[in-house]
Amino acid sequence: MSPDTLTAQTRPIFGNGEKANKLAATKFGGKLVSEYWEGVFRAKEEGKTVVWYNGTYIPPFFHAHDLVWVHGEAWAAMLAARHREIGAQARGDARGYDRELCSYARTHIGQMLIEMDKLKSGTSDLDPDDPRIETMLKLPAPDMIVNAYPYCSSGQQWDDITYRMFGKKVPMFTIQIPLLWGGRPDAGYMQGEEWEQRSDYVAEQLMALTDFLAEHTGRPFDFDRLSDSMSYVKRAAELRLEAMDLCTATPSPASFFDWIVSIAPVNFLPGDQNLVTYFEGVKAEIETRIANGEGAVKDEKYRLFFDGMMNWNKVGWLADKFASVNACVVAGRYTHMSFWQEPQLIDLENPVRGMAQNYLICPNNHGAPIMIGEIEKLCDKFDIDGVVCHASRTCRGMTNSQFLIAGSAKKYGRQAMFFEGDVADESFYKDELLNVRLEAMIEAIDARKRAA
Amino acid sequence: MRDCLARMEVAVSAPLTYAARLKEKTGRPVIGILPMHFPAELAHAAGAIPTLIQDDPEPITVGQSSVFNFYCGYNRSLTDQLLRGAFDGLDAILFGDHCVQLLGTADVIRAERPDLPILFNQLCTTLDAGWAARETRGTFSQLWQELEALTGQRITTEAARDSIRIYNHNRAQIRELYALRQAGAIALSARDMQTVVKSSMVMDKSEHIALMDGIFAGLPSGPAQGLPIYLSGHMCHAPKPAILDLIESCGAHVVGDDLFTGWRYIHADMDESADPVEAMTRWYLDKNRRVPCPTRATRGGDWETYLLERIESTRARGLIILMVKFCEPHMYFYPEIKDAFDARGVPHLLIETEHDDMPLEALKTRVETFVEVAGRKAALTTA
Ligand code: SF4
Ligand code: SF4
Repeated sequence: MSPDTLTAQTRPIFGNGEKANKLAATKFGGKLVSEYWEGVFRAKEEGKTVVWYNGTYIPPFFHAHDLVWVHGEAWAAMLAARHREIGAQARGDARGYDRELCSYARTHIGQMLIEMDKLKSGTSDLDPDDPRIETMLKLPAPDMIVNAYPYCSSGQQWDDITYRMFGKKVPMFTIQIPLLWGGRPDAGYMQGEEWEQRSDYVAEQLMALTDFLAEHTGRPFDFDRLSDSMSYVKRAAELRLEAMDLCTATPSPASFFDWIVSIAPVNFLPGDQNLVTYFEGVKAEIETRIANGEGAVKDEKYRLFFDGMMNWNKVGWLADKFASVNACVVAGRYTHMSFWQEPQLIDLENPVRGMAQNYLICPNNHGAPIMIGEIEKLCDKFDIDGVVCHASRTCRGMTNSQFLIAGSAKKYGRQAMFFEGDVADESFYKDELLNVRLEAMIEAIDARKRAA
Repeated sequence: MRDCLARMEVAVSAPLTYAARLKEKTGRPVIGILPMHFPAELAHAAGAIPTLIQDDPEPITVGQSSVFNFYCGYNRSLTDQLLRGAFDGLDAILFGDHCVQLLGTADVIRAERPDLPILFNQLCTTLDAGWAARETRGTFSQLWQELEALTGQRITTEAARDSIRIYNHNRAQIRELYALRQAGAIALSARDMQTVVKSSMVMDKSEHIALMDGIFAGLPSGPAQGLPIYLSGHMCHAPKPAILDLIESCGAHVVGDDLFTGWRYIHADMDESADPVEAMTRWYLDKNRRVPCPTRATRGGDWETYLLERIESTRARGLIILMVKFCEPHMYFYPEIKDAFDARGVPHLLIETEHDDMPLEALKTRVETFVEVAGRKAALTTA
């Protein structure tokens, strides 16, 4: 039924009932992600060594060393995206983890506790028919833990708890990715003394990581395999950026939500031909859409920027919500300022320092002036009318600076709004608030356009 | 003694006014230090007036426009103070923590006061990493140079050693007070102990040392009455004195603590004979071995093990945990403490504190019940 034929009874409470026009090519990513998790679940049967890690995109090091890796955030996001997070969070609550604590961590730790319970009793307190059980009971325990969290202290503490939960017996390695505060006179995006020093510091730690992996597996680290894996990652990252750049077109052929579902490939999937194939597919579809004048949102009237962490149990919901007011969320801090966003820094002959640099420039690891400068550049490039800030309740890593981001948007003639939600705890999401604020923002953009 | 405490109390009630007066008198710049790990000794050696920035009791008003209400009270208070102009008298801020919430606040300060130098040098948080010593040395050396540039004066090794000596002396004085209280030789309230520590964070060191001498000259002797309990937690800032009063009014008396505005702040000295940067480095890196901090990572020592040991050594009969609402580092480690204390059968009570007004009546009932239960248990074990 087209929105024009909606009757009073069928008219939606909010918006015009239009849905997001998602990229079809991203389906291949869903398949890759499922295969990846299947591989993780089979790891123990196949005699593989399992490493749990949190933070930045370091899997090429694990891939090169033939390990199986579990990304804590990805696990929590996956449970949330499949609406399987509640049981894990409830188990965390039962041990006394406050619900104001990072919900990624609570979900992941809760899952660990479920595993422990299972180990201890040979049973689970869930009904055997509960559909959640299948997803939740398969996480293989770690043989190693690696922490590499830029900016957010919560990430480090979360892994400290993991280490303690496994009785301090699992070897653990922590990489410090320090904030680029940008206070020295020569500081700038990817420039200055601090940038050079920090790049060396993180690169040195990554080299020490390779020693750690070698020590705990008894096998030498294979730098050729690292270069090989990175060759695919680099190519995929270039294709991703090229495809993103094509979204300067009007209407935008893809939306922030398409880029959200495209994070897994650049964040934690193995660096192989599949990554390149995935982004070739995405780029080709975008090119076709541009040729046909097809947008990610029907009758695109407004172009928005999304600031903040994703609300993983609301990806489709939010994509449709914005589409239903003809607003295309074209770009975002989380998607467009992270995940190998400077692939040219990677020298495939010697990739470690360039990798370190990509880890350093994750979107919140800059002091606010430089980070906001980069946001403004993106907003100009994509011709953004308004900035939507997701005040993700338990993720201060991404809510820090949001008042400054909103202030800057207004300074440059854009609208700005906040809505409340969370990364993985649905109970913090306030739908009515989003509806009211989004409507108000749309009206303000209209008024501004009329005045111009 | 009361006179000395009263003078400390004046400084504590308006630390930035105290610093401003001192600046007026001496012409020395005021440097605000953010908690919890930065050695103020260097700012002192640079000839500045170091003041550890405190939470203040004002309700959050203008600050609401720049910080979310799901940030800890300390961060919200900092933002509010900033926007009320309370930091206008500062000449610089020293900052090196890693708590994500504080990192956000530092940027708000920079945006609001672009003219105010923020000497940000993030400390290595993995204290037992292979590069921790080198990095920490680098951080303190960098800070040394930045302070010289800021004040336009060379910091000599001798000056840094002198500052370390003065700080050590002051810390030792306060530790002595802790020892007397723990031994039951003096009846000093938790409120008074907080005044002593908090004033040492903000007052001129020489003045504080003199006041401490005055306190020792007139200490009330005799053991305090009530059930001995141990206080834990409260990172970065002091709990409201009214909460301490409430706890002691319920029949408990505090014999020890690991609060930041408490034992955590004064528990260790720096080596006076070593090179100053080296001394600061060791002081910093050994922190978790002495009093585990949830904001730093180390493979060794556990906070819960430390607390159980402290309960034993102070002969406390229970633990009261003061947890700052929204304090993530503490929220992560609370279940570890709870489980360990449950396993050992040591009574414990969690009190979540807020910057805004708290319902003290309801809290009183909880503390009374706790003291009663812990008291009964103590009677059983000693019977
Ligand atoms: S608070 Fe946010 S940035 Fe920090 S660990 Fe959690 S999800 Fe990551
Ligand atoms: S450590 Fe806790 S009290 Fe300190 S700034 Fe962070 S959240 Fe606030």
